[in-house]
Amino acid sequence: MAEGFRLRVRYGKTGRLRHLSHLEVIRACERSVRRAGLPYSVTQGFSPKIKAAFGPALPVGTAGEREYYDVWLTSYVPARTVLERLAGASPAGLAPQAVSYAGGREPSLSAALTVARYRVLVASPATWPEEFGKVLAGVVGSGTLAVEHKGKTKVFDLARSLPEEPRVGSEDGFLVVEITTRIGQEGSLRPEALVHEALSSSPKPGSLIAVTRTDLLVEAGKEWLRPME
Amino acid sequence: MATPAADVSAGAESLLPLVERPARYVDGEWGARHRPEASYRTALLYPDTYELGMANQALAILYDRLNAIDGVAAERVFVPWKDMAAEMRASSTPLFTLESMQPVRDCALVGVTLPYELTYTNVLEALDLAGIPLRSADRAEADPLVVGGGPCAFDPEPMAPFFDAILVGEGEEAVVEIVAAHRAAIEARANREETLRRLAGVPGVYVPSLYAEAPDGGMRPLGGGPAVVEKRVLRDLGAFRPPTCPVVPFMDVVHDRATIEILRGCARGCRFCQAGMVYRPVRERRADDIVRDSLAALACGGYEEVSLTSLSSSDHSLIEDVVRRLSRRLEGTDVTVSLPSLRVDAFGLTLARLLKGKRPGLTLAPEAGTQRLRDVINKNVTGEDLLGAVRAAFEAGWRRVKLYFMIGLPTETDEDVAGIGRLVGEVLAAAREATPADQRGSVRVGVSVSTFVPKAHTPFQWDAQLTLPEVLRRQKILRDAMPRKGVELSWHDASASFLEGALARGDRKVADVIERTWRSGAVFDAWTEEFSLDRWLAAFEEEGVDPVVLAGPRDAKAPLPWSHISSGVSPAFLKLERERAERAVATPDCTFEECTGCGVCPSLGVENAIAGGSRG
Repeated sequence: MAEGFRLRVRYGKTGRLRHLSHLEVIRACERSVRRAGLPYSVTQGFSPKIKAAFGPALPVGTAGEREYYDVWLTSYVPARTVLERLAGASPAGLAPQAVSYAGGREPSLSAALTVARYRVLVASPATWPEEFGKVLAGVVGSGTLAVEHKGKTKVFDLARSLPEEPRVGSEDGFLVVEITTRIGQEGSLRPEALVHEALSSSPKPGSLIAVTRTDLLVEAGKEWLRPME
Repeated sequence: MATPAADVSAGAESLLPLVERPARYVDGEWGARHRPEASYRTALLYPDTYELGMANQALAILYDRLNAIDGVAAERVFVPWKDMAAEMRASSTPLFTLESMQPVRDCALVGVTLPYELTYTNVLEALDLAGIPLRSADRAEADPLVVGGGPCAFDPEPMAPFFDAILVGEGEEAVVEIVAAHRAAIEARANREETLRRLAGVPGVYVPSLYAEAPDGGMRPLGGGPAVVEKRVLRDLGAFRPPTCPVVPFMDVVHDRATIEILRGCARGCRFCQAGMVYRPVRERRADDIVRDSLAALACGGYEEVSLTSLSSSDHSLIEDVVRRLSRRLEGTDVTVSLPSLRVDAFGLTLARLLKGKRPGLTLAPEAGTQRLRDVINKNVTGEDLLGAVRAAFEAGWRRVKLYFMIGLPTETDEDVAGIGRLVGEVLAAAREATPADQRGSVRVGVSVSTFVPKAHTPFQWDAQLTLPEVLRRQKILRDAMPRKGVELSWHDASASFLEGALARGDRKVADVIERTWRSGAVFDAWTEEFSLDRWLAAFEEEGVDPVVLAGPRDAKAPLPWSHISSGVSPAFLKLERERAERAVATPDCTFEECTGCGVCPSLGVENAIAGGSRG
């Protein structure tokens, strides 16, 4: 059998399910595909596995508003039908939002998606978006950020990691920080690392409440595109 | 319930970013039932972590049964890991159920399964986190009823003071009756004492407060409950459909797969095995039902594996037919069938070929190293049976086999212990011989050795457990007799087995020891790195209870602390079996040969049900 039909699914990782790990999300989505009764392809070999490929991992605790995976089908099922069946077979916190067929030769999601947008919610006794924005700009202006992870230190070049200036606003008494980062092979800067660094050098206290990835984008020249519309 | 529930969900949720593996507490899995409209809420507690408890089939069955009752909600509770427990105590967040994230103490009833003795401190930990008084005697009218059940209910005394009631035996029908009796009591505005008397009227329900210790070592009824509590048993297992839309965990839990029970009970008659004695008679489910339910559970759960479970799955009279039909239906998919418990004499080449696939290894339990000792324990398998099963498996493509053995079985000699090493050597040789020459390097035999623990309601219930120093001496004999190359030897922690033995045949005084040990910090005793025998020994000492006596021999003429609990197997049969063990005389399996007179069928009004008409 040839490649089969490459189906792209957009879904959310929301509510309490933001506490799931990437592997837990993968297993849950694969089980939704099986429950939906879709004619999914399996890999060759002694222990066949469902043929699917996921976008970049979200850490435990980070929610996602527009996440993606590809799954290959052995026969064509109209996208609308797939969406209906998947929606009826998925946990509410991992609900599918849209489905479309993707070209068989397109690069994988993990290779194509190189820009991520995040929204970070910070609780603070006072709202001071302008002030915090300046502190954040100071951190960005310093050029690099050293992040410790599992005993290792990684230094991020902020000019490369942050293709846009972070923006700070406020909403319901929280500071809302919007951060766009480059993700990929060379390592992905976690937005909370940047916010923590800014908080540690700011005159006022604050604590990080929630991180949500709001978008995943493909860089096409100067344009940034979504992997499906 | 009468008191309005305090909303703790926001507080509980704020703890999730602070703890390891938050998936244990998030709920929202496929198949989780949310019934906010229910007026009668129950919490089903498994006394260990989520990843262990989600594998428990009893809990899944009761969850299914209770949520099917109008006006009733059953929600899951597991014991929070130490980090979460510390955060909960620091923030005054009471133990909550997963589905509604509301306090356990606001439920009408808390059902607790008691799967093994080393979970006892976890029960107290959970009650304490819930803010429910530990002892039945200290609970007030507004507190939930705390009802136990599960394997340990057959010797309930060590945990009896912590429970308002304990169900002995199978729960499918009984939980429905317990809930009905409780709801009627609530309706009638009965007080706690009256409610417990009503519960004692439900067959199979033991209400500990209606019994006291007698001077002869047994338990004396104080009125209101039967002199002997007979276990509950389903006459027709086929009438109950197992859960086919179970909760599908996100976390990588133990036994993360669809499970369909294919038969209940086992009449092989292994004399050390409590499950084999207390879950009689043998009831096989029909092949059509098994196939139908397996496919339904896979479709609803989306799992990659279905496991056909029982105490001894290869004994099902139609097992090959069932596996063949399921394998055919699942051909070309990524979904496999597995059998968890196989007997060496029932595992043939046909089954080996049908099951090959993803199986990483095969597990067989010869239990003892010599034929004499296997006859003593009535294992009824020979060395040749074992070697035949190993040849079949390795010829069918397996490269690993795991063997379970026990040391410390009654009448065991040093020769029997060394015999385990010899038998493992023969298994290795047979496995290599059945494997193509170029693959022999990957042949592995895992050997897992535990210490025999005498259990209540078995022919060995009067026997002594080995002392700790003697266990260590025999372990050395075994280590010296074991082939090195190709063998992976592992031991069950001898000190944990010693404690298990003291608790497994304990009396009501042991409850004080359990509470004291928990107060000194014990929790998760089944987790090797958390277990401390010293903490337990200190508590035994302070309470003036000798664990060596509890694990020691018992007087066959005196009542036992569990004599007021009946599994239906007669004490006379157990005594006869103990005598036959001494003479190394085998007793056949009544599903293959004639009745052995264990007493279950006449006393409980039940009989074996064999789907294929006959076995063997």
